[in-house]
Amino acid sequence: MQISGLTPEMTPKRREAFVGYLFILPTYIGFTIFILYPLVESMRISFQEFSLLRGSTYIGLDNYAQMFADPRLRISYINTIIFTLFAVFFNAGIGLLLAVMLNRRLPILMRNLYRSIFFFPVLIAHTYIAVIWRFLYQQDTGVINYYLGVLGIDPVPWLSNAHWAMAAIIILDVWKNTGFAMLVFLAGLQSIPNEYYEAAQLDGANERQLFFRITIPLLSPTIFFILVIFMIGALQVFDTIIVLTAGGPGDATRSVVLYIYEIAFRTFNMGYAAAVSMTLFAIILVLTALQFWISRRWVHYE
Amino acid sequence: MASTEVTVRGQPKTAPRKSKKPINFGDIVSYAILTIAAILVMMPLAWMFSTSLRPTTESFQLPPAWLPTQFRWENYVEPFKSSVPFVDLFINSMRITVAVTVGQLVTCSLAGYAFARLRFPGRDLLFLLLLASLMVPGQVTIIPIFLLMRDLGLIDNPLAIILPGLISAFGVFLMRQFFKQMPQELFDAARVDGAGHVRSFLQIALPLAGPAMATLGIITFNATWNAYFLPLIFLNSWHKMTLPQGIALLTGYMGSGNPSVVMAAVTMAILPVLFVFIAAQRWIIEALTRSGLKG
Repeated sequence: MQISGLTPEMTPKRREAFVGYLFILPTYIGFTIFILYPLVESMRISFQEFSLLRGSTYIGLDNYAQMFADPRLRISYINTIIFTLFAVFFNAGIGLLLAVMLNRRLPILMRNLYRSIFFFPVLIAHTYIAVIWRFLYQQDTGVINYYLGVLGIDPVPWLSNAHWAMAAIIILDVWKNTGFAMLVFLAGLQSIPNEYYEAAQLDGANERQLFFRITIPLLSPTIFFILVIFMIGALQVFDTIIVLTAGGPGDATRSVVLYIYEIAFRTFNMGYAAAVSMTLFAIILVLTALQFWISRRWVHYE
Repeated sequence: MASTEVTVRGQPKTAPRKSKKPINFGDIVSYAILTIAAILVMMPLAWMFSTSLRPTTESFQLPPAWLPTQFRWENYVEPFKSSVPFVDLFINSMRITVAVTVGQLVTCSLAGYAFARLRFPGRDLLFLLLLASLMVPGQVTIIPIFLLMRDLGLIDNPLAIILPGLISAFGVFLMRQFFKQMPQELFDAARVDGAGHVRSFLQIALPLAGPAMATLGIITFNATWNAYFLPLIFLNSWHKMTLPQGIALLTGYMGSGNPSVVMAAVTMAILPVLFVFIAAQRWIIEALTRSGLKG
């Protein structure tokens, strides 16, 4: 048993180190087996022609070269980038707008109630939300088209038209996730000292000036954080799409992760899938490094 | 300075921007916009609930009734009677979620404590390495993990999802932050009383870590309860699947013919989340904003 290591002949310093290693051991076992090893292994597989049945052979950079000649990968990346741009813009924009309005003079009860309502969808599984919205988006029987009809708008082919399907996914994503941006922005807003606003108001600044000269600059680290977090999340979009459109119509809403999933687990072309996943990893790594570097600079700046 | 402290502490209760001016046009406009936004957020959920109580023949009734007009609670029994093993799905989800949550609470509190309060060679480097793993998206590691689980014969076994879920770099980070904030005097006093490191952890640090454990527990519970990617890859027989998988299939399985029953199933699947949210809203919100602001 471990007790033997805790015998009195150990110096206190060594005993402390021993307990320290013992405490991090479970985490590090898991970390090694389920993150470190798979990461290295994934890189190795990405250089292989992989087959579950026939065994694997090294093919150098062929998988990476293949990507340039893969139109479906190109479409998947374009779709993912379009989704990311729109989802990040609207999630952050609407989240900020809601936070700013919630931060105005409101009865406390109202503020807390609205905050809870906006935030609740964040906690619901993408899968369930996609299941609900798939009914709402139905062309003939859907609730959304019914109300558009009331406004005199022709039924929108939400899930059967390439452009509308992408719009449908973005709208759902904003409905679900903007509450998280709102929450973080609200906390950021509440940490801005009142004195700044009071001083500026004494100098005759109007609401607009207060917002653009005080709120936005002081909130910029939070804004940047939200942009990066949402970007990383959006680049990995999967659950919503597989339930709502399964990548269709055609390839119109196929995301990179959905594509990786399909080549890895439907056609079992693991080598190529691993190579594609490496490209996504590289992009996310750059974004995270950027976030880290810039937030460092901000901290020093203040 | 002291006044700021008070404001920060009582943060959710104080109005951040008090001015003596009367309520202006802007306040009214933002009030109206917030109300509309709140209604838009509520509508899909209201539709879900009211549809779940409607007879199947009227599932697609238009204009939609946002509030339940009929109360066909039988719809809630239907998923249990269908060929979809709804009870199994629920139990599978619960089992995986509880195992992962408990596991993470154990591993993360241990590691968090070690990184926060114990000194050992290489500590900061090891912590940094762990933090860096937050940058690795799950899709990158999934292929080797799949092959590993296949070799271990764990395909279609909940362990394939539970095992990788037992650790969390985010959880270690969260617990470390919390243990770091504890006053050193507490531990000095325990040391004087002759308590070792293990006892200090078990009898002093852990009993005080309730809020942090609750936070981590809730976040992990919710994330695991909602997980779709891993179950989709590892679990493929009806009796092993989790709830999100089952409900996604239920929709396709029954076609769009029976939304009432599907909505009843979704409502039941969301209920645990709703309860947890109502019970622990403050913790969830505080934890998420804190982790958000710290980056």
